[in-house]
Amino acid sequence: MIGTGVATLAGFRYWYPGAGDPSIDGVDLDVASGITLVAGASGSGKSSLLRVFNGLVPHFHGGTVTGAATVCGHDVIATPTRLLATKVGFVFQDPELQSVYPSVERDVAFGLENIGTPAAVMRRRVSEALERTGITHLSGRAVSTLSGGERQRLALAGVLAMRPRLLVLDEPLSQLDDAGARALTATLIDLADEGIAMVVAEHRFEHLGALPGRSLAVDHGRVVDAPASKPSHATSFLGVRAAGGLASAPVAWSLDRVAAGPAREAVLESVSVDGRLGEVVALVGPNGGGKTTLLRTIAGLLTPISGTVHRAPGRVAYLPQNPMALLHRPTVGAEVAWTVRGETQSANAAALIAELGLTHLADRDPRDLSTGERQRAAIAAVMAGAPHIALLDEPTRGMDEAARDALCSVIVRMRNAGCSIVLATHDRNLAAAVADRTIAVGSGSARELSPVAVA
Amino acid sequence: MNPRALAVWSLSGVTIALSTGSPVYRTLVLLCALNVLIAFRRPGVSVRGLLIALVAAAAIALATTTLASHTGDHAFLVLPAGIPVIGGPLTLEASLFGLSTGVGIAAAVLAAAPLSLVLQPHALVDALPGALARTGAAIGTALNLIPGIARSATEIRDAQRMRGWRSRRVREWPDLAVPVVLTALEGSITLAEAMEARGYGSGVRTHYSEQVWRRQDVLVALVSAAAACAFIGLRVTGAITDWYPFPELMWPGVSVAGVLCCCALATPLLVWRR
Repeated sequence: MIGTGVATLAGFRYWYPGAGDPSIDGVDLDVASGITLVAGASGSGKSSLLRVFNGLVPHFHGGTVTGAATVCGHDVIATPTRLLATKVGFVFQDPELQSVYPSVERDVAFGLENIGTPAAVMRRRVSEALERTGITHLSGRAVSTLSGGERQRLALAGVLAMRPRLLVLDEPLSQLDDAGARALTATLIDLADEGIAMVVAEHRFEHLGALPGRSLAVDHGRVVDAPASKPSHATSFLGVRAAGGLASAPVAWSLDRVAAGPAREAVLESVSVDGRLGEVVALVGPNGGGKTTLLRTIAGLLTPISGTVHRAPGRVAYLPQNPMALLHRPTVGAEVAWTVRGETQSANAAALIAELGLTHLADRDPRDLSTGERQRAAIAAVMAGAPHIALLDEPTRGMDEAARDALCSVIVRMRNAGCSIVLATHDRNLAAAVADRTIAVGSGSARELSPVAVA
Repeated sequence: MNPRALAVWSLSGVTIALSTGSPVYRTLVLLCALNVLIAFRRPGVSVRGLLIALVAAAAIALATTTLASHTGDHAFLVLPAGIPVIGGPLTLEASLFGLSTGVGIAAAVLAAAPLSLVLQPHALVDALPGALARTGAAIGTALNLIPGIARSATEIRDAQRMRGWRSRRVREWPDLAVPVVLTALEGSITLAEAMEARGYGSGVRTHYSEQVWRRQDVLVALVSAAAACAFIGLRVTGAITDWYPFPELMWPGVSVAGVLCCCALATPLLVWRR
């Protein structure tokens, strides 16, 4: 049965090329105006489902389809994505990989250029889109100089300029700091008020819980109505901490009046902080504030412009923001085994894989996994063995709640084993759950937000 | 400046540099091109690497010709005849010919260099004729990927170093190269997906920035094109003579008209605002 909403799926099944099981399994769905929130575990099929709305599934990805899908009156299976682009705007998970042109205005105009919009109209629409997304002040800037949050809004401006009837957003908050997430959420509410239908897949419900509309859950490719989304919990994992205080623990790393930054341009100025063995330190702060610079300086990947850095002897585990930077072995299991090659604790690798819920994925190629699954695989790859210091840059990116809980358990277990862990994160629930100390990084400085917690 | 006007200027410069063997005209083109490049290069763009490469190329041309060509009356050194290829007299004629060739190469490259060092990649792509607009957008996008690949290579190298990867071991290089290539491919696919989702390929494209021809742009294009045409005409009619140091070494002939044609390539310096 075909419904009367903006988008309708009827008995829709989809198999990726060569896949045995369908990624979308018999979905009947009617998307009306307003906001439709889509939840679901990593790898549940959310991203595949979203791609049906603009025809990327099946037109871009290939594969096999049965059933029917209609969007804004167009049969998705018979209409190429490029022709649906005037009706459906799609904002992808990774804003860094969707900028086409190097300057802000040109990038916003890209879609309008493609559909042959006259230059005068284009300029007006670009200006409106920048204003609507609150980034007029970025006019004239090079895209490469924008923070993750600014890029996310730029991507939104690019699709809004085309005036879509349906807006699809795949984890739009995954890289945003709290302020950016709040601003984007407010923008989405405004757009919904203006009559634009929206489908939003997200794990960070602490912000989206405020969004009015319908909630769905995707589970193994099937869609079910879900109760209204609840804010993520911030359960403390600190209760399982081993007895013993931190004050007497040896210093694992320290920065003394350090100035540092990429290309020798100081992002951090005269920063003095330290961390102890058996301690979790959370670095929080706005996008572009210097959290990654601080992590890289501790890791020794960035030579300080001035000041001194001390690290206790032992292996330093480092998780970069992009998990694909370190996943290059044919399977998840091989990836983890590569890290612990030559280490006596290599038997722990299998346990870590299980702890992070990756056992069933151990023989899969990391590149075939969803964003959240890749992130867990990358964490397993760096945390395997017995690092003395673990530096994790946005470790919960793309993770569902269950995976985040598993990560919290791993972090606390390793801390109790004496590892010094530093997290750079926007995820305030993660910081609240596992951090002994929180350091705010921004405007060139690092400031302690709470005293050392002694168990 | 209008990218098409600059393209006409570049083409004219390359044409003159490659159509003459005279070191005088080649040097004039080189000087004009170098000045235009330095005056109008994009902010933050360094020409040092290019200049080093050109000096190296000219040095190679000079050395190769000097060592391999043993023709000429003015020998300044005689290498033992038993040495393969380079054995025999090294002559002033061969060295000057090699030097002139090197200057010609440098002049042609410097005349073409502003297309990449003055213009933004997308500006040049936008300058392509309408029939090539889609191809142009694809090329521009590919060019835009290059900085991202460089960043990702650094990120991957750092991540692998932290896991014990050492660049000194050749057999471990694939641990860096494979993820760089795969990440670049994956990034390209994601970008292609994003482009498709924004209507790429749906019909005739328009351009956000219209390429306005100002009077200065028209002047640069017309003067440059006229200079190149005139230079070719003078060459064909014999009014400009070529220079060849063999069999007899002589000074290159200089024609006022030829010099004026070369100097016309300095027009951008006079009419375009820096």
